[in-house]
Amino acid sequence: MPEFRKDPIIGRWVIVATERARRPSDFVPHSVSEEKYTEPECPFCEGKEDKTPPPEIYAIRDPGTKPGSPGWKVRVVPSVSPVLKIEGKIERRGRGIYDVINGIGAHEIIVETPQHIYNMADLPEEQITCAITAYIERMTDLGRDPRFKYALLFKNYGSAAGSGKVRHAHSQLIAMPVNPIRLKDELVGSRQYFEYKERCIFCDIIKQETDTGKRIVADIDGFLAFAPFASRFPFEMWVLPKKHSSDFCNLTKDKRADLARILKVVLTKLKKALVDPPYNIILHTAPFRVPKAGYWRTIEEDFHWHIEIMPRLTRVAGFEWGSGFYINPTPPEDAAKYLNEMEI
Amino acid sequence: MAELRRDPITGRWVIIEIDRAKNPSDYEVEPHKKREGICPFCPGNERMTPPEIFAHREGAAKPNEPGWQTRVIPNKFPALRVEGDLDRIGIGMYDMMNGIGAHEVIIENPDHNKELCDLMDHEVEQVIWAYRNRSLDLIGDKRFKYILIFKNYGVSAGASLEHPHSQLIALPIIPKRVVEELRWSERYYDYRERCVFCDMIHQEIDERERVITENKSFIAFAPFVSRFPFEFSIFPKIHSAEFSYIQKEEVVDLARILKETLLRMKIALKDPSYNFIVHTSPIDSKERVDYHWHIEIMPRLGRTAGFEWGTGFYLNPTPPEIAAWALREVSL
Repeated sequence: MPEFRKDPIIGRWVIVATERARRPSDFVPHSVSEEKYTEPECPFCEGKEDKTPPPEIYAIRDPGTKPGSPGWKVRVVPSVSPVLKIEGKIERRGRGIYDVINGIGAHEIIVETPQHIYNMADLPEEQITCAITAYIERMTDLGRDPRFKYALLFKNYGSAAGSGKVRHAHSQLIAMPVNPIRLKDELVGSRQYFEYKERCIFCDIIKQETDTGKRIVADIDGFLAFAPFASRFPFEMWVLPKKHSSDFCNLTKDKRADLARILKVVLTKLKKALVDPPYNIILHTAPFRVPKAGYWRTIEEDFHWHIEIMPRLTRVAGFEWGSGFYINPTPPEDAAKYLNEMEI
Repeated sequence: MAELRRDPITGRWVIIEIDRAKNPSDYEVEPHKKREGICPFCPGNERMTPPEIFAHREGAAKPNEPGWQTRVIPNKFPALRVEGDLDRIGIGMYDMMNGIGAHEVIIENPDHNKELCDLMDHEVEQVIWAYRNRSLDLIGDKRFKYILIFKNYGVSAGASLEHPHSQLIALPIIPKRVVEELRWSERYYDYRERCVFCDMIHQEIDERERVITENKSFIAFAPFVSRFPFEFSIFPKIHSAEFSYIQKEEVVDLARILKETLLRMKIALKDPSYNFIVHTSPIDSKERVDYHWHIEIMPRLGRTAGFEWGTGFYLNPTPPEIAAWALREVSL
C-alpha cells in the first residue's frame, strides 16, 4: 500500500510507494562520468586562471603565490554569466498589484579543486574542508552587505542536475535581496513548532531518527546523514549537525573537517549505489537578516542549518512542480538500507 | 539586467532576465521519437486497459469496445488505491496516512496521432466534459479533499505513453502549492475585499502586454511572475472558484482558447513537451470569494536545476512580455 507522509517542517504531503519500491538497479543508469561533452578547455584548472573573469574574489593559496596565478587549493571567482548584478542600490517598487525589485545580487563560483576532478566524492577530505572554509568566508563577507538577505549555496552535478558546460567540481553562491520561499516556509514551520513545544523541530527529528535508526545513512563525528521521512525524491538525503546551530557560518575550524568527512562518505555511497548519478546539493541556513526584525526573536533557537542532497534519478513531471505534490517510488527506509550496504 | 518579481498569488520571488532575454529560437526542443509496439489506448485494444469508468460514445457501441470519442479508465499503475478507509496515524513526530485515492486516465481521442491542439473544437469540448464529469463524481466521495487534473505531453514532461491522454488524481490531502495559493489569496482578500486573481485579470486586460488571446469567457496570459519560459495561464473572466461548476457555453469557450493557445505554443516553440495543471478549489462546501480556478501550462524548455526545487527560487530567461508577444505573433 502506498503511503502519504507529511513533512513535519513545512507540512508538505508526499506519496511514498512502499510496494513496488524501486531499487537502485531499477533506475535507468545515467552516469555523469559517461556523459558526452564537447568540453572546451577547462577554465577552472590550475594554470588557466586567466580564463575566468577577474578579479579573484577569494582563494586559499600557498604562501608567496599571487592572486590570479597557480598555487591555490580553492578559488572563488565571479560567474561568467551572472544572473544578478553586484553594483547598484536595491529599488523596490510596485507595478499595479505586482511587486518588483531590480536584479541586484552577487553570483560567485567556488572552484573546489585545482585538479580536473568532477565529483566532490572523489576529492580528498582536506580539499572538501578547504571548500567549506571558502563557503563560510564568502557567505560571511556577503552577509556584511546590508542589501542582501540571503546567500544561496548550491551545487549542480551532471547535466541532468543543471550543470553548465564546465564539469570541473564547483559550487555556486548567489546572494540576494529576498529570502527564497522554501526557506521561509521552513523558518515559519520551525518557529511554529518551537512556539508550541519550546524545542527545535530539527533536534527532535534528529532524536527520533537516531532512536529508530532505519533511515540513517551515516552518523559520524557530530553529524548525521539520513533519508528524510517524507523524501520527495528517491535517495534524497539530509546532512546536519547533531548539536543545535542555526547558522552554517558559525561552523568552527575543527568541525569543518568533520563535515567534510561525512559529506565524502555520503557522496561516495551515492556514487557507488547509483553508478555516479547526477545530483544537486543545497545548503539551508539562517538568513543574514531575519524577516521582520524584532518579530523574529527565536530564529537562533528554532532553526537548524542542514544540507539537502537530491540525486536526479527520475524526471520530475510538471504536475509535481505545479502542485508541490510529489510521488516518490523509493521509500527512504529502503534508500538508507541500500546506501548502508555500500562498502567504502 | 534582471528583475526580481514577486508572485502575488504565492509570495514567491522569481528572477526574470530582461536584457539578455531568450527568444523562442534560442531553445532547443528534443524531438519526439515515435514509439513502437501496440498502443493500449487505441480503439480495438480496449481489453488491454482496466474496464472503463466513463466514455463518450455516439450510437449503439457497448462499453469497452470501439466507437468512443473520449474514454476514462483507471490507471493501470496507480500511485494510489481507491479501495479502503482512510487511516491516519502518527509515528512519533511524523504524520502519515495510507495511500487512498483515485488515479484515472482520460484518453482524449481515438486517434493516436492527434494532440489536443489538432482536434476539432467539439472534440476538445468532449475532453473538458470528461474532466468535469469525473470531477463531479469524485467530489461526492467523502474521503477526498482535492482533485488534480493534469496532462504530461512528451517524454521530457513525464509522459510514459504516446497516445494523447490526461490524468486525474483524487487526493485525501491538499497539495502544497494549492495551500499556498489559498493562503495568500485569502490574505489579499482580507485586506482588499477583492479576489487577487480578478485584480490580476483586470490589470492584464488594461496592460495587454502579457495577454496571448481572449474570448467571451476566458483570457490567456503569460503571468507577470512566470517561473518558466513561455509559461502561461488560462482564467475564466467571471469569478469562479471551482472548475467543475463550468457551464455549457464556457466549455465551448474553454475548448477554443485551450486549443488555440496550445497550437500557438506548438508552432512558436516547435512542438515542445509540456505540462498543464488545472488549479481549482479544494473539495468542501465553501463558496470561495477569494479563489479563482485556472489552468497553468508549462512548456518544458531547458532543465530546471535542483536548486529551483529546493529553494522555490526560480530563474526565468524569457520575460513573460516577450513570451506573450511571440505567442501572439504566430499566424494560425
